[in-house]
Amino acid sequence: MFSPNEQTESPNHPALQMRGISKCFGPTLVLKKVDIDLRSGEIHALMGENGAGKTTLMKIAAGLIDDFEGDIFVEGKPHRMTSPRDAARAGIAMIQQELSLVPELAVDENIFLGQEKVRSLFFVDREQQVRAAREVLRPLDFHGRIDLPVAKLRVGEQQLVEVAKALVAKARILIMDEPTSALSINESERLFQVIRKLAKEGVAIVYISHRMEEVFAVADTVTVLRDGQHIGTLSAKVASRREIIRMMVGRELQEMIASGKSETTTQKPVLEVQDLWLENPSPTAARPLLVQNVSFTVAGGEVLGLAGLLGAGRTETLEVLFGLHSGTSGGHVRIEGKDVHLLNPVAAKAAGMALVTEDRKRDGLVLGAGIDRNAELAVLRTIAAFGLVSTEGEVELAARTIRDLGIQASGPRQLAGTLSGGNQQKLVIGKWLLTRPRVLLLDEPTRGIDVGAKAEIYRLIGTLAEQGLAIVLVTSELPELTLLSDRILVLREGRPTALLNRAQFSHETILEFASPGGSVQPAFAEMEVAQ
Amino acid sequence: MKGIASTIGKFILQTKLFWGLAALYLVGIFSSPVNRKGLNIFLEPGNQSDVLRQVSNNGIIAVGMTLVILTGGIDLSVGSMMALGSVVCAMLLTQEGWTNASLLAIPILAFVCIFLCAYLVPLIAINVHRGSAKPVERASSRVRWFGIVLGIILAMLAVWWTVGQLKTKFGVIGVLVAVPAVGLVFGALNGLIITKGKMQPFIVTLAMMVAILGIARLLGGSNMAVHPVYTGTNATEDFDILRALLFQVIPVPGIFFLIAVLVFGFVLKVSTFGRYIYAIGGNEQAARLAGIHVDQLKIAVFAISGMLASTAGVLYTAQYRQGKPDAGSGAELDAIAAVVIGGTNLMGGRGSMTGTLVGVLIFGFLGNILQLRNIDSNTQLVLKGGIILAAVLLQEGQLGVLWKQIRAYFKVVEPSRAIGAQSRQIEEVRK
Repeated sequence: MFSPNEQTESPNHPALQMRGISKCFGPTLVLKKVDIDLRSGEIHALMGENGAGKTTLMKIAAGLIDDFEGDIFVEGKPHRMTSPRDAARAGIAMIQQELSLVPELAVDENIFLGQEKVRSLFFVDREQQVRAAREVLRPLDFHGRIDLPVAKLRVGEQQLVEVAKALVAKARILIMDEPTSALSINESERLFQVIRKLAKEGVAIVYISHRMEEVFAVADTVTVLRDGQHIGTLSAKVASRREIIRMMVGRELQEMIASGKSETTTQKPVLEVQDLWLENPSPTAARPLLVQNVSFTVAGGEVLGLAGLLGAGRTETLEVLFGLHSGTSGGHVRIEGKDVHLLNPVAAKAAGMALVTEDRKRDGLVLGAGIDRNAELAVLRTIAAFGLVSTEGEVELAARTIRDLGIQASGPRQLAGTLSGGNQQKLVIGKWLLTRPRVLLLDEPTRGIDVGAKAEIYRLIGTLAEQGLAIVLVTSELPELTLLSDRILVLREGRPTALLNRAQFSHETILEFASPGGSVQPAFAEMEVAQ
Repeated sequence: MKGIASTIGKFILQTKLFWGLAALYLVGIFSSPVNRKGLNIFLEPGNQSDVLRQVSNNGIIAVGMTLVILTGGIDLSVGSMMALGSVVCAMLLTQEGWTNASLLAIPILAFVCIFLCAYLVPLIAINVHRGSAKPVERASSRVRWFGIVLGIILAMLAVWWTVGQLKTKFGVIGVLVAVPAVGLVFGALNGLIITKGKMQPFIVTLAMMVAILGIARLLGGSNMAVHPVYTGTNATEDFDILRALLFQVIPVPGIFFLIAVLVFGFVLKVSTFGRYIYAIGGNEQAARLAGIHVDQLKIAVFAISGMLASTAGVLYTAQYRQGKPDAGSGAELDAIAAVVIGGTNLMGGRGSMTGTLVGVLIFGFLGNILQLRNIDSNTQLVLKGGIILAAVLLQEGQLGVLWKQIRAYFKVVEPSRAIGAQSRQIEEVRK
């Protein structure tokens, strides 16, 4: 698909070659002999579902992971990155999804971190530094103030600071991991212009994303990974959307949609939330409240989706409901007509809530313990008498969880850390179902799990809704959100901007309401005026 | 055949701790000097029972330390706690009337009675049943009142009894009740500050270590050095039971140690409390989100650690016939070393009481062997340090990875001669 004359620059020496890269995390192989070539001046989109190994592959290139198999060649010479510093010396810079700026330092201090402009000995020459920073930022169309701490900047501007940092480091290869996940439409467009400009100057750019529109807007070449394997590399000019989706998903998308939720069940509300708010823990930040004015109701059997960009307060909303921010949050919450005190997870559990967190490894599971020990954790007291755990009860609970959720495991003793992502997620959900909740809060339930497991989770969500649970779903994947939700509440910078019903679902509408500066539904606009 | 071999291999790996102890024991036998009668000194019952007596103080502290470390914490204040225990114990034994020690111990004892009943009675009440799908979160108010009333009655009894003892000085039962109560309260204070102030256990217990040492010295009064305890002359004779040998071989402090190991080993294995301890150490956030009272459990664990450490202080007083504010210097480090040798992970969530038992014994036998060989005490320290490092290195099983990393460091990336060719090949595949 490549015509040779497209690559006039050093045809035999791509800027970066990765050959036969394999990497395991514990027993799971996340990359299987992946090859990739990056050329100067080329914008190379790296695509794949969550958990396909995109980020891991690029972390290896950027020296953030040094324990892998395979070879890396920079400009044709073998080069084994052992640290980010090493990679920077080879001209590779990576902008991670979670930005790595020091929030308390000013823009220029961040840009020149580690290579400060010094006057004499070790006195930093701030003036010169600010001037130099302005120089670097000018072509990037940056409008913020340079002497302010970056914490005060909007995410889009912070992103530009990261780009500037890479430019100062004279990066020849710039890797961007989902750079637009927190940006509004305008900011994304501006970022694309910057990217194109950089590519024209000969920088090789890797653009990790799973948003089709963006990829077609900026990329020259597309590489698709699936389950850690290199599926194919195409020119963006000739590739079709359908083809890429098929490569990413491994089968036609229709199949998955068919397993989605059926119809809305209109019952009386199970969960009623009014005027939820949450203080920002950092007092210097631009927004004093991370969540405000959030109100909604969810009926039994209904799935309410929460949409929004990164940092819109979706996860925080769930956390407040589950009592994780007692003291700094508030609001009126009722479950089946009974008031819920937003005190702590113990109270939330007793009130019939269950929270499946975004990061199951960090917050959901005891990875070093077996399936049985994880499954019983929230309901241990039900199988104990006088504080002594009954072995039969334990075996029964584990067996039930494995059977009901369809967890693939060698046995109830298998360590949670050695399960695949999908099975781990089922275990987390299963653990909570044992508490017989009335309200299920799901935060990114399909993050980092493979396609097959995703379909199973979708089906599970459908079944649970049919059983009458009230479900609140947060997910960054718009197709998933529109597939599973009965209604969608859109949040923007902590405030609701729209409540959409199924007929109004479309990616454009959701993004319009989610983007800063976009429109607001009249009902929500009035609320803001009233404030 | 291969299956059997691998099963045996796994078995040896899983029980390597015991093999380490066994190997050390063999070293002890073969390196031991022989006495005049031609008997192996190391194997003599007297020597063996000596070892058990010597390790029991460290062992009791290590039991509490194991619980703390399993939750991912650390308790540096146990040495001072033991010193405080020994001073309070000695003063209660040798001085009658209201002294500093009795002024501290009796109100604390009363408080502990009330608090434990008010807390434990409802807890037991809601934990009686099994099989109900939704556990009861709060006991009925009648049960709670019963707990409080029971606590007050118990406290009054305790005060009446202990104040009665003041006239004649405390007996052995008196100190065994009052001193652990003091440790329990100070330990709970550790836990309270750590959980409610959201501070690092290291910092908090370090501060408490210093502060409690000061309290121990202040209590002791102007001659802060020692409070000698002479049973029969300045203290009651029944206190001697704590330094006796049962059947001429089993030292009483050793029995205290073994009981502590058994009780808390059992608790760790089969109780909800034990499960929660492992869960908190394994992933505190997951435990918290599962609706577990993480803070309360941590406070309880630190309280138990304090209680055991002050009990060790009582045994110290019995063994050395004195209460001394400097009794426990370095005890925290010995306990941590024993726990770690026993394979308990300092990050929490992994380890066992059996491991700690073996760790304590390894530590004890090692000291004994070196002593029998008459090795200079400073050399002993160096050797002990080396043994701790070696044991942990073996326990954590990271040797393989270390070896691989060393090899990778020296391994030169083979320059592929055919990079150009390889690249061309890939171009063709792309086309």
